[in-house]
Amino acid sequence: MKDIVLKNVSKNYNGEPVLEDITLSIPGGQFFALLGPSGSGKTTILRLIGGFEKPTEGEIYLGDKNITDIPINERKVNTVFQQYALFPHMDVFDNVAYSLSIRGVASDEIEKRVQKVLRAVGLEKFIYKGIGHLSGGQQQRVALARTIINEPDVLLLDEPLAALDLKLRERMLIELIELQSTLKTTFVYVTHDQFEALTVADTMAIMNEDGDIEQIGTPKEIYEFPVSSFVAKFVGSTNILEGTIKKGAHGSQVEIKNLGTFEVAVPESKQWIKDESRVLLSIRPEKIEIRKSLVEGFSNKWLGIVEAIVYHGRSTQYNVRLKNDQIIQVFEQNEEHFEREVIDYDDQVYLYWQKENVVLLDR
Amino acid sequence: MKRLANNFLQEIPFLCSMPAIAWQIFFMVAPVGIIFYFSLMRPGFIVTLDHYRGLLHTSYFLIIFRSLLLATLMAFTAFFLAYPVAYFIAMRAKKYKTVLLFFLTLPFWVNFLVQIYAWYFLLERNGLINKLLLTIGIIQEPLMLSSSLFAIFLVMVYCYLPFMIMPLYNMLEKIDPRLLEASSDLGATPWQTFYRVTFPLSLPGVKTGLLLVMIPAFGEFVIPSLLGGGKNMLVGTLISYFFLVARNNASGAAFTCLSALALLLTVILFYAVSRLWVVSKIVERK
Repeated sequence: MKDIVLKNVSKNYNGEPVLEDITLSIPGGQFFALLGPSGSGKTTILRLIGGFEKPTEGEIYLGDKNITDIPINERKVNTVFQQYALFPHMDVFDNVAYSLSIRGVASDEIEKRVQKVLRAVGLEKFIYKGIGHLSGGQQQRVALARTIINEPDVLLLDEPLAALDLKLRERMLIELIELQSTLKTTFVYVTHDQFEALTVADTMAIMNEDGDIEQIGTPKEIYEFPVSSFVAKFVGSTNILEGTIKKGAHGSQVEIKNLGTFEVAVPESKQWIKDESRVLLSIRPEKIEIRKSLVEGFSNKWLGIVEAIVYHGRSTQYNVRLKNDQIIQVFEQNEEHFEREVIDYDDQVYLYWQKENVVLLDR
Repeated sequence: MKRLANNFLQEIPFLCSMPAIAWQIFFMVAPVGIIFYFSLMRPGFIVTLDHYRGLLHTSYFLIIFRSLLLATLMAFTAFFLAYPVAYFIAMRAKKYKTVLLFFLTLPFWVNFLVQIYAWYFLLERNGLINKLLLTIGIIQEPLMLSSSLFAIFLVMVYCYLPFMIMPLYNMLEKIDPRLLEASSDLGATPWQTFYRVTFPLSLPGVKTGLLLVMIPAFGEFVIPSLLGGGKNMLVGTLISYFFLVARNNASGAAFTCLSALALLLTVILFYAVSRLWVVSKIVERK
């Protein structure tokens, strides 16, 4: 279980900086997801670890070993490419056996190991099929088999499911998680899809457009406790409001211009929040209760007018305009256990939320 | 009426290809047919094999054999020279690609005959090459460069090289660079990547290139007649001799058919050998 450590790594392409002074530690034996918008440099990080590119500055370690200058073919790191990059002139067997035959492993040994790994990905029937005769999902499995047969220390996955349809993608995600927990290999999974990242990751890192790492944490930490409005907005949906903190004897409040003063909980860890601090409030759409009637027990409520209703199937999204003209998104589960009040366009509604469910951010 | 119009519309692609098909029939299929007809006919519309019988002489077979050997040797030499060039342009040249490809077409801007005469003056007894070598002192006597098989070979390689580079370049350029990355990612050295991925994927281009060069080189007659000095008889020169000098259309036609057959058999042989090689590799594994 070797950790991957990037120390002060920078990368320029033709003088244009893509990554600047990145320091990142990827824990060994984990499923690590690197999530960011396109152009954030996440694929560059992957290519640096894989050895496809050399960092302009900085060092990369695999365990205790500095691998910065080790050529790609000598690294125990393998990559599953976005479009699989299977060799079109070889059949499934030859593709999967490629790394072993390169190293001159005896042919009966190769035969045995190819059979075994193809059984693991459920492709034993396709062993002598040409690559062109396989579906997208099958090609994906061949690409996986081709890399794990090598027993690498690290498996890099570059948006591996981008070309698959939704159903297949969901199934492959589960299979990847199972594969990782059987192999105990470090998986580094690059994606721009927050759903994929949240599903697979033990730990995930969020990158912004400038190529900086905004936050590293478990999916739950990232989702529930984002450190910036960028993370809050990129992972899931959220409502961001601006306000000023008022600290008092009976807890803290936040004053939002043209809207009023509301109760908030300031966690111990956020020492930077003082009286009169300007803060951003992030509140997830599903943490808001929408009602036409008055309800007791919530710390805060807003009054607004329903502007749009979007039916998503498992939930319904309401866009509600507040007094200060800000639009608030609300998700309601369509559980339909009991008859509910019907909310329609232009209805006046109350939005209830708890003070613990708002995240206070400085940027 | 409407159905008729629809049917007509469907046939438009076919109608558009008619001029080209007609052209091919008039200027390709018909002449080949006429040659074949000549080779089998005696005055009075009698079918005969006499013209072929007249060619049963070692010197004729030697000429066919020599032409085949020259064409094959030339094609493979061109291949070995062309591959690195095509590889460089396709894989390494990046933004200079178009410029280099343009340079490759430059010789075509000069008339073919002018190029050959230029070579003639370069290679002749008092030519530039001999003068240069004499001045440097590498040789004492001028070399017999022109009027030799060597001169024919050299100029043929020069003329046919672009026809080898182009199909190779085309195939190499199409190779997804990620395949090469995947190969080295899986542990292959650059050399292993070349002979396991790059070269196998460029094979269709290799085949096209070899055919594209070998077939016309086999029948080439301008270069041998201008640079061969009349003594190195090849298929092309002999055919032109039969038709233009000896005015023996029947023998010329028979010899043409015979050498075409020899070429066809050679190409089939090459193809069979390459197939056998691939099949044996598959059989060996399973």
